[in-house]
Amino acid sequence: MFFWQKTKKNAPQPRGLDDLNPSLEINLHWLKADILASDETIVYRRFKTSGAKARDCVLVYADNMVKHEFLSQFVLRPMMQSSPPKHLRGEELIRYLSANVIESDGSELVARYGEIGDKIMNGVAVLLVDGCPLGIAVDAKGWPKRAVTEPPSESVVRGPRTGFSEDLGVNISLVRLKLSSPNFKTRFLYVGTQTKTKVAILYLDNVTSLDLVEEVARRIDAIEIDAVLDSGYIQEMIRDAPYSPFPTIGHTERPDVAAAKILEGRVAVLVDGSPFALTVPYLLVEAFQANEDYYNQWMVGSFHRLIRYISYFITTSTPAIYIALISYHPQLIPTNLVVSISASRKNVPFPGIVEVILMGLVFEILREGGVRLPRPIGQAISIVGAIVLGEAAVSASLVSAPMIIVVGVTGVAGFVNPALNDIAVLIRLLFVFLAAGLGLYGYVFGTIAIVLLLSSMESFGVPYLSTMTTIRPQDIKDTVVRVPWWQMRLRPRYLATKDRQRLQRRTGSKGP
Amino acid sequence: MRRGFPRLLSLLLVTALLTGCWDYIEIEALEFVFGLGVDQVEPDYVVVVEMVKTSGGGQQVEVEPLVLATKGKSVSAAGRSLSNPAGLRAFWPHAYVFLMSEQVAREGIVPAMENIVRSRHIRSTVWVFITKDCTAEEVFKSKPPAANSVSEHLNAIALMQETISGFIPLQVWQLSQAFAAEGIAAILPTVKLVHEQGDLVPIVEGTAVFKGDRMVGWLDGHESDILCLLKGIIQRCYFVIDTKVGENEFFPITYELVGNRVEIKPQDKDGKLSVSIALDLHFSVEEMGRAPYSFRDEAFARSVQAQLATAFTHWIREFLSKTQQEYNADILGFGQLVRRKEPQVWRRLGENWDVHFRDLPVDLEVKCKVTMAGLSSEPLRVRE
Repeated sequence: MFFWQKTKKNAPQPRGLDDLNPSLEINLHWLKADILASDETIVYRRFKTSGAKARDCVLVYADNMVKHEFLSQFVLRPMMQSSPPKHLRGEELIRYLSANVIESDGSELVARYGEIGDKIMNGVAVLLVDGCPLGIAVDAKGWPKRAVTEPPSESVVRGPRTGFSEDLGVNISLVRLKLSSPNFKTRFLYVGTQTKTKVAILYLDNVTSLDLVEEVARRIDAIEIDAVLDSGYIQEMIRDAPYSPFPTIGHTERPDVAAAKILEGRVAVLVDGSPFALTVPYLLVEAFQANEDYYNQWMVGSFHRLIRYISYFITTSTPAIYIALISYHPQLIPTNLVVSISASRKNVPFPGIVEVILMGLVFEILREGGVRLPRPIGQAISIVGAIVLGEAAVSASLVSAPMIIVVGVTGVAGFVNPALNDIAVLIRLLFVFLAAGLGLYGYVFGTIAIVLLLSSMESFGVPYLSTMTTIRPQDIKDTVVRVPWWQMRLRPRYLATKDRQRLQRRTGSKGP
Repeated sequence: MRRGFPRLLSLLLVTALLTGCWDYIEIEALEFVFGLGVDQVEPDYVVVVEMVKTSGGGQQVEVEPLVLATKGKSVSAAGRSLSNPAGLRAFWPHAYVFLMSEQVAREGIVPAMENIVRSRHIRSTVWVFITKDCTAEEVFKSKPPAANSVSEHLNAIALMQETISGFIPLQVWQLSQAFAAEGIAAILPTVKLVHEQGDLVPIVEGTAVFKGDRMVGWLDGHESDILCLLKGIIQRCYFVIDTKVGENEFFPITYELVGNRVEIKPQDKDGKLSVSIALDLHFSVEEMGRAPYSFRDEAFARSVQAQLATAFTHWIREFLSKTQQEYNADILGFGQLVRRKEPQVWRRLGENWDVHFRDLPVDLEVKCKVTMAGLSSEPLRVRE
């Protein structure tokens, strides 16, 4: 912590802490000259109340941040038609107007220039009346919002179709709709010296350990950054094992997933402006779980989950094992296959390792190229890339045909686990180099290294490999397979420290 | 702790990574050896290999066999010098078969197979054959009708042993046991060439009989089947037997062996050693041809079983006299049984077992039973 940061934070903004002046003209002058200077989107609407003693009023707001119709109908019209009693002045007048005239559900009194500035920036209109050292902040937030749609990054075949949007309030209400219980708690924090972004911590106070909630709040509070534009900022600032490539904080775009994690005793963090909720603690098993596992029949769900584990093995290890086999252990390949691999490599000028890296690079380029493009073009790119390039490369003897299969299988299997796909590239590269240098021996070394890394990691005090390294029946019910719901009677031991009971008694299906 | 860690790590890495052998090789630089043969041991070793020549690349892959022969002072030296004419490194672990010519077998096969048995390059699952009336080179140069290479052809045949019968396959890992065991003579399956539509085609049929490491004679396919019976090896052989069905009517009926239980016991009675063989054979009737009888007729079934017993007793007697008197090679392992069951007798006779084996009396009891006669369907009848 550097001293100037501290002083800067507490330094008074010019005029910001000063109280309002009774004179409307002076107030307007300061607002225009200082607090809201050089901002042409600010609207100053002057008008008068009716009656014998008409008061000068100004409604200040930022254009397009408010609901204009609402302001005209429920603030301007009643104000213009009102005739406040003559004897009222100063604070009494303001209280009278707030209580009797303004027809808005959210209104409060503001006394300082700085407050007025913050409110207006957040879509609140401020009403100033001549002769009063106070203003009325009328909540009329109304900026363009995206509708609640199905999240593109986590689409499902079976399951709810709602996804988070960019609005914090909407997002919290989406989670609350899933967990309508008084035990569902939210806590607000503000992060970012410039943006003052609102961050919400969501948890169930009869399930989640309060220490965990405190720890999350402490870490978020400790962030000193100028801006938070997405929950990704927070994710990176509060995570454990910052140098490990594996994620220690989960993120989801789906309220149902967030609610499920909260129900298991996790804490969700929502950030204003980001459609991605963060969930902590995050364990490795979660990367292999998908919400559909729980909505589908349990055998189907378990099978899909198994596929995810197998795919991750394939995506990280196929090129390495292929390299090791063709460069060091050709005796391990079935005879017919080894002959055909050998034949297909006859005219290829590069050793296996160069081929793998070349084709892997091409694949990553195609993927990256396809991701940011509009969907129709992206598809065209991937078809051109996959079919035309692959075919041409083989015909030109630049790469061998089996290598195309290896790279293709590797790439496609990676998409099965989106949460770990980015890391899979790194692991794959590590394994390939080890296998090219030392054969299967090197590959095994790499695997050991990864397992050591994983078992040394923690996420918010919970070991990263929890439930993968235990043999307690209750803890492994939701790991490699998903057992039926009527079997999962307890919440995970390592997360839900308070109330572990999930099923009250054997209910529903006639379990054994 | 912190300062010691890098040293410890480097020590671990050095010991773990730098102490093995590093055998990186590009797969296309290998020439895969599918079959290996030894045609001659004296004065020079003649080693023949069947390799596969791969070509193509891109999307067309072509594989064709390539037979090379060299001379050398030993099998391994000759084998290695093959890389020279081949132009690529010979790669042995994918070999299927190991052939030895009759000449090598007659002179003693130890010098030819010693390297094969111990080599770390050659799999212990390689099939071993003796070539009959031809050399290994001729076998490798023959043309199997379906398979790409002779070695694959022989491998496929060896794997089908249970149904095609006529030989007893053996792999390299069984070699040392077969030749080193006391009181039992070794046998190896034989490969020969037959003419098939103008091409010479290798087939596996019959057995080479060894005494010590020298070959002493052949058994044909039928005798090999009898050998299988007596060894208790399950093999679903067909036996076509002229079966008497009426007064003087004989019809060839095909029987399939579906089960055999064999019990061989040495007996020592008053200092006179004999061996008793009890065979319990089960058959199914595979094909009746013109035979007008149904196995629903119990008397007929009984007569057939009696005829089968007679036929098998005859064949086994012939087989025994061939092995005992002609070859004098104890391939059924009577000596081994005596050694196990009657150690005192073995101590007395073991020294001169060959002599005793030649005239060893054998009690034979053959029981045959037709268990699956196809009772549910009648034989084909033609109305006259």
